[in-house]
Amino acid sequence: MIASKFEFRSPKDVEEAVRLYREFEGEAVYLSGGTDLVPRMKLGLEKPKVVIDLKRIASLTTVEDQGDWIRIGALARIFDLKQNDIVRGEFPALEASLEGTSCESLQMRGTIGGNLLQNSRCLFYNQSEFWRRSKGFCLKMGGESCNAVPGAKTCFANYCSDNATALCTLSAEIELSGPDGTRRVNLEGLYSNKAERPFEIQPGEILTAIFLPKMRSVGGYEKLRVRGAIDYPLLGVAFSFVDGTGKLAVGAVGPRPYVVEIKQPFRDTVGEAVETVLKQVKPVGNTVLDPDYRKQMIPVLAGRLVNKVMEGAK
Amino acid sequence: MDREYTIIGTRMTRTDSLAKVTGRASFTADLKLPRMLCAKVLRSPHPHAKILNIDTSKALRLPGVRAVVTAADAHGVKWGVFRYTQDHPMIAVDRVRYVGEDVAGVAAVDEETAMEALDLIQVDYEPLPAVFDPEEAMKEGAPLIHEEYPNNVNIHVHIEVGKVDEAFARAHLVREDTFHAPGEAYSTLEPYAVVASYANGYLDLWVPNAGPHVRAKALSNLLKMPLNKVRVRRINVGGHFGSRSEVSPGDLVTSLLAIKSGCPVKLVLTREENATCTRQVHDIKATIKTGVNKDGTITAKEFRVVYDGGAYSSTGPIATSIPYYVYEEAYRFPNVRYDGYRVITNKGIRGMYGCHGRAFLGGNEMQLDMIARELGMDPMEIRIKNGLKVGEETATKSVIISGGLEEPIRLAAAKANWAERRAGLKEGEGIGMGCVAVMCGFPMGFRSGSACYVKLNDDGQATIVTGICDTGMGNESMAIQIASEVLGIPVEDINLVNADTEATNLDPGAYSQAASFVGGNAVKRACEEAKRQILSFAAAKMNHPVEDLDLKDRTVVSKTDPLKKMPMRWIVREAFFQGKPIAATGAYMPKIDFQREWVKNPYGQMAGTYSFGCSVAQVTVDRETGQIRVPYFVAAHDCGNPINTMAVEGQMEGSVLQAGVAVLAEETRWSQGWLLNPDLLEYKVPLACDMPEIEPVIVRSNDPEGPFGAKEGGLTTRMNAYSAVVCAAHNALGVPLNEFPLTPDRVLKALNAAKSGGES
Ligand SMILES: Cc1cc2nc3c(=O)[nH]c(=O)nc-3n(C[C@H](O)[C@H](O)[C@H](O)COP(=O)(O)OP(=O)(O)OC[C@H]3O[C@@H](n4cnc5c(N)ncnc54)[C@H](O)[C@@H]3O)c2cc1C
Repeated sequence: MIASKFEFRSPKDVEEAVRLYREFEGEAVYLSGGTDLVPRMKLGLEKPKVVIDLKRIASLTTVEDQGDWIRIGALARIFDLKQNDIVRGEFPALEASLEGTSCESLQMRGTIGGNLLQNSRCLFYNQSEFWRRSKGFCLKMGGESCNAVPGAKTCFANYCSDNATALCTLSAEIELSGPDGTRRVNLEGLYSNKAERPFEIQPGEILTAIFLPKMRSVGGYEKLRVRGAIDYPLLGVAFSFVDGTGKLAVGAVGPRPYVVEIKQPFRDTVGEAVETVLKQVKPVGNTVLDPDYRKQMIPVLAGRLVNKVMEGAK
Repeated sequence: MDREYTIIGTRMTRTDSLAKVTGRASFTADLKLPRMLCAKVLRSPHPHAKILNIDTSKALRLPGVRAVVTAADAHGVKWGVFRYTQDHPMIAVDRVRYVGEDVAGVAAVDEETAMEALDLIQVDYEPLPAVFDPEEAMKEGAPLIHEEYPNNVNIHVHIEVGKVDEAFARAHLVREDTFHAPGEAYSTLEPYAVVASYANGYLDLWVPNAGPHVRAKALSNLLKMPLNKVRVRRINVGGHFGSRSEVSPGDLVTSLLAIKSGCPVKLVLTREENATCTRQVHDIKATIKTGVNKDGTITAKEFRVVYDGGAYSSTGPIATSIPYYVYEEAYRFPNVRYDGYRVITNKGIRGMYGCHGRAFLGGNEMQLDMIARELGMDPMEIRIKNGLKVGEETATKSVIISGGLEEPIRLAAAKANWAERRAGLKEGEGIGMGCVAVMCGFPMGFRSGSACYVKLNDDGQATIVTGICDTGMGNESMAIQIASEVLGIPVEDINLVNADTEATNLDPGAYSQAASFVGGNAVKRACEEAKRQILSFAAAKMNHPVEDLDLKDRTVVSKTDPLKKMPMRWIVREAFFQGKPIAATGAYMPKIDFQREWVKNPYGQMAGTYSFGCSVAQVTVDRETGQIRVPYFVAAHDCGNPINTMAVEGQMEGSVLQAGVAVLAEETRWSQGWLLNPDLLEYKVPLACDMPEIEPVIVRSNDPEGPFGAKEGGLTTRMNAYSAVVCAAHNALGVPLNEFPLTPDRVLKALNAAKSGGES
């Protein structure tokens, strides 16, 4: 049951959606597929008075070839996108991460925009109100310190978007429209590096599209999870190779994907790239596998992935 | 070939399947009664605390609230399966012992109001020091959770047979290993729910249960009501696996709310409450010592097993014993010492589980493989050598009347091409075998037996009335099939009235593997008596010798003269005419030694019969990531004789998931007294895509006591599938794997430990 009552609105265009947001400023949330939002509302992590549904805004669902760029509407569904010819032809890392996202029934509801803007996760945070109240609120709930690492003053929740990791290797840009107009930024610029509030996004801003430079890439995505489907990543590693340069990204072990450029020959440089990432990540015991193990798997998955991709490219 | 039976042994679509797969079957949460209220429970936010005061006055003043109950409304009776384990008040009186313990209940006109009322109940607590680890809890100076259990040891089961120390001293080889597995969740798809209605002094209850008669008895005690006034009604149950065996706190809360408000009340637990506030599975640490001769004969066994019992006793002594019993029922132990300790901690309540004892069973079987390797024996050979045979006794003196371990092992091995498969393994592949034998029923006093009534209706159809309870495994269909076979009428001619304490007679319930063996036997006997009555009327009416008559296709037929026959309904009507309607009773009481007791006297005949089973699993292991996959699985189960072949195979396949694949992933995770994964996302029940190719092998030992030779439908797989997988992983990796489940992080840790220790 969703404990808090809310109003439901279905605007037909972005302007109306933003206007509604401003009308109910501070009490409204946007809804796409709802596969991240609704579980949060059920747990009482989110108690909006108004839910603004973006699914009726047709212009947000399409994939367009704009010449130099491919524009992916933020409301495109994961399931449709993974079967899209452009995605399959040009962006294999993305195709693989889409395929690895949760399971097909959720892919049919979940959108790419919602996927990028899903909140960060922690076993001590994604719990019911009773659970959280009895344990004592953590940083991400407005408390004094972390519950996963008792006493810590940093939040260690993991940002678990599979597709953000892949998109980072493809030099994606995103478009945001809000009360102050429209802006376009690098996907990497979306992240605040603070797990408790992972995004640099202004109140009321709608993610309208994702842009990918139209350049054929080779690439792939490796996902660590316990079961063959449904599970969020415990670690995600993406690699794309475009026009002589490789990009490696590591996700689900912190508040954002960690991205490193690597030069050929990869055999020599991938280790260094992984080192750069290892210096930045601090996995803790806030998800189901041992944190040291998750860290240990970064070089393993990265090495395998780069080899596999480059073998395939030969 | 002539079939021995008409419908027994066929692959019949279960009688309950259509309603379930089309969503038309109703479960407790679907029930709607006029004026029904919604219940919610206020739960302890502390793992351990004194309750200083409870003030419900504000909640009672909230419009829409119809009743609030606390321990003050209960009768001071505590629950426990045995007199010596009655320690659980079901609604906390002056102390809470786990997060989520029931403190008060509210019944209101709707869910929102009930939830709002919970916030208005003021409880003053004084937190107490808590303890979460059973080994810590046993130490001197640990917080004492119940005054009556020194060192928090709730149950100590001690079994001693033969001369254990001498046998170890003489053994050719002795190994000692410790295995640990955290608790599991039952993960029933149906979250717990209760509907209670009280009128004219009678309390009616619909609740997922595995035995209505045992449930009603427990509630009549807790409510201090006469047993005949507490009526547990039949309802579909969405999964059980041990979790629905015992009375639950929600039963008491909902009953009290119904009595107090005068309205029917429904309580539906959330997924989280289902995980934390109904029963869970024990965390187990097993130290296993085995001594063998040069030829692999087991000469001595010694066990020290510590069970994390959570806050209360529940099935305490049974849970503390079963893993050992299902092992001694499979293998010959001339000298054995077992010490099982169930320890109280400040965690949720725990009960029996269909796959109870993963660390113990998987540990024993992996250790047996280590021993076999040192002796240069094949794992199959050492198992056959030590397996019990018909006519032998278990260490604690139960006679095996059918089956034996050898046949399931041989059939499983044959199906899997054991020798060739083993020889052909590639790097990173392994194959393993796990065995177990399981009791069909166990001592429950006069409740160990079952009784059935059958009446023939004027259209020639039958109504059978039995206490048999179906929690999803197909027991109802089984009862109907047995009646159909005996009475010679199709299943659609049989009405079943079951699992309703007002209408049905005693039955042990859907646990202890007694449903077919005990309940099915009673159905068979009742129908046989009805058949005798029909045939004796028919003999007179048809003027034909009774010995030559039989029932087939709704007809009384001659066994020798195909022209001699008469519709059965004519006979039934004739019986009504004569004022002697066809009605019969049948009962079955298994041959058990009722002097046997779990703690005081753990010796004597435990059950009427035993089923035997062997599983074989093949795994692949990724040595770099530690990830294990199970591509292939063979399960051989001696069910005596399958009543419904498809239903038995279904149970075996479900068991491969629930034990075999689950041993790679399933575990409850805790942060002190808080369960970190009370859901189905972070508690990793294997998915369809994780499942292996499964080859079920049905072994027929044709039990002399069981109905049509039947024993039970698949529990050996549920208790040995773990072992097959962990043995296969051990076979692939060659290092001890002492920590379950075999998640990739644990596997890598074990590999690294072996590397630095240089041992295998
Ligand atoms: C069981 C389960 C398993 C899952 N497994 C995975 C997994 O393996 N990998 C993975 O990446 N994800 C996983 N998810 C998360 C989720 O399903 C996906 O991320 C999905 O793509 C989210 O998209 P959505 O459209 O449903 O988002 P929503 O729930 O609708 O939205 C997510 C958030 O973004 C905001 N939002 C949505 N759209 C916009 C927009 N256009 N502009 C501004 N704000 C917006 C919402 O307000 C909300 O806060 C899982 C979810 C569940 C329930």
